[in-house]
Amino acid sequence: MSIYLPIAELSVNIFLLLSLGGVVGFLSGMFGLGGGFLMTPLLIFIGIPTNVAVATSANQIVASSISGTLGHWRQGLVDFKMGGVLLIGAFFGSILGVWIFSKLVAIGQIDTVISILYFALLTGIGLSMLIESSKVIRDRIRRKSVKQKIHYHNWAHRLPFKVRFYKSKLYISIIPPIIIGFVIGILSATMGIGGAFILIPAMIYFLGMPTSKVIGTSLFQIIFITALVTILHATTTFAVDAVLAFFLILSSVIGAQVGVLAANKLRGEEIRALLAIIVLGVATKIALDLLVKPNEIFNLSVIRLVF
Amino acid sequence: MIRQLIILFYILIGALTPSISIALVIGSDQEEIYIDANFSGEELLVFGAFYSDPSQSRDSKSDILIEVVGPLEDVALRKKDSYFGFWLNSKSVTFRDVPGFYYLSSTSELTDEFLATNQIGLLEKKKSEMIDWSSLTTDWGSVVNDKEKEEFYNALIRTKQDDNLYKQVSDEIEIIDGNLFRSYIDIPNTVPVGEYNVNLHLIIDNEISQEYSYNFMVTRVGIEEAIYSFSKNYPFFYGLISLIIAIIIGWSGAEIFKRFRKV
Repeated sequence: MSIYLPIAELSVNIFLLLSLGGVVGFLSGMFGLGGGFLMTPLLIFIGIPTNVAVATSANQIVASSISGTLGHWRQGLVDFKMGGVLLIGAFFGSILGVWIFSKLVAIGQIDTVISILYFALLTGIGLSMLIESSKVIRDRIRRKSVKQKIHYHNWAHRLPFKVRFYKSKLYISIIPPIIIGFVIGILSATMGIGGAFILIPAMIYFLGMPTSKVIGTSLFQIIFITALVTILHATTTFAVDAVLAFFLILSSVIGAQVGVLAANKLRGEEIRALLAIIVLGVATKIALDLLVKPNEIFNLSVIRLVF
Repeated sequence: MIRQLIILFYILIGALTPSISIALVIGSDQEEIYIDANFSGEELLVFGAFYSDPSQSRDSKSDILIEVVGPLEDVALRKKDSYFGFWLNSKSVTFRDVPGFYYLSSTSELTDEFLATNQIGLLEKKKSEMIDWSSLTTDWGSVVNDKEKEEFYNALIRTKQDDNLYKQVSDEIEIIDGNLFRSYIDIPNTVPVGEYNVNLHLIIDNEISQEYSYNFMVTRVGIEEAIYSFSKNYPFFYGLISLIIAIIIGWSGAEIFKRFRKV
């Protein structure tokens, strides 16, 4: 059974969409990731145009991060003030990101740029997950406990415009979070990701936020950043496909909840290593598409009046 | 069934009218193709009858040609080149007013000469001297020489063929009883919306003897049309509604499963 997507202007198998959303949702629930970094390339692989894949992914992430934030919010693990400061940067970043995106569409280089960005992102994610999980597995075998530094004092504490963030027990300049938000905004708008994978380490290492507050706060700000990106794409690139988003959201929300349940029952490291391999596999496929001479070196696109 | 009776009726009328030596009557199963949520392409039936004298069988030299021309569109064709091992888009050519869909079908192979003299077909113009550059409104960009223009032109047709949007065949028209014909034309799910022209030609001794044309529309309907036009006309509210749907499903998903876990 297939469904016609009004914005992508093609029909796809409905079960393919549901299983794609379900699997990405499951992985995101299991590992506490947004899943956008897998959703966008997989949508492109099944033939969805790049611009629609990016814009619709952003819409889908809104739903999955709301699901995630609620749990953290109830436990008081969201630093709304920090989230708000990050959002100031993210606001301008995503406006710039959507502008860059529509320019790249106009000159016909969007596919290439997205491929290169995704290759870099997925290789980074995949390798770091693989190294981290294999380290944990090795340490477990050696019965060694890993000591972690809780608080980092660095250059972020010496800049002007210092503000007190009570929830995170921090007194730092608002410049670093604004810059981090700005970069995440650009990436979110151009790649259709929430950016948690970059945001979380940045919040821990650059801002020195306590680990317990990081996930809830990043999810909280991802809701707003992806919401903004959705609106910006809907109004400038006209690439948000509501029908596609609906099926992806429905299946990913269910998948995410199942993933959360599964995460409590299964041992994480081995599965994390497996996910790392899947991520690296997707990265390899993207790299091959760029490096191997394509069968058809010409590609055709119908010019729409909006660009 | 009723239409086929009508055709038979026409054949009889034709037989009683001696002034017309040969005639062509056609029918089609639909005037409109609707793109709705379940649209996954469609088969368009074109059928009809041609005859000289009902007592004689079809003149062996006469042929039927069916041409379907979709709405015109502007397309950008980009060529990939290798830069430091990466295959990236480089040169780009814009073709204006090319058909979004083109189908040419005949009962026997048509010669290039015939197509050129009657200005039918896009697929057979493989040699550069046969391509009439002036008939195309084209923005060549950095493409200057004829050899490269020809490469782009052929690539335009090839990529459209690969998407099943351009097609030329000579074995899809089914002849029944020598006088009736029927053809199923594949309309793929990627077809552009708009007006399509169907042109039928009766060819005798390499010349067009009869012509018949009609139109049909490909239109989005129902929820597909509603969503599409809403997204174009009210993009802000469209984005907002997409968001609200995401928020509702995301929120309620979490709530529903929370209850599950408590039980």
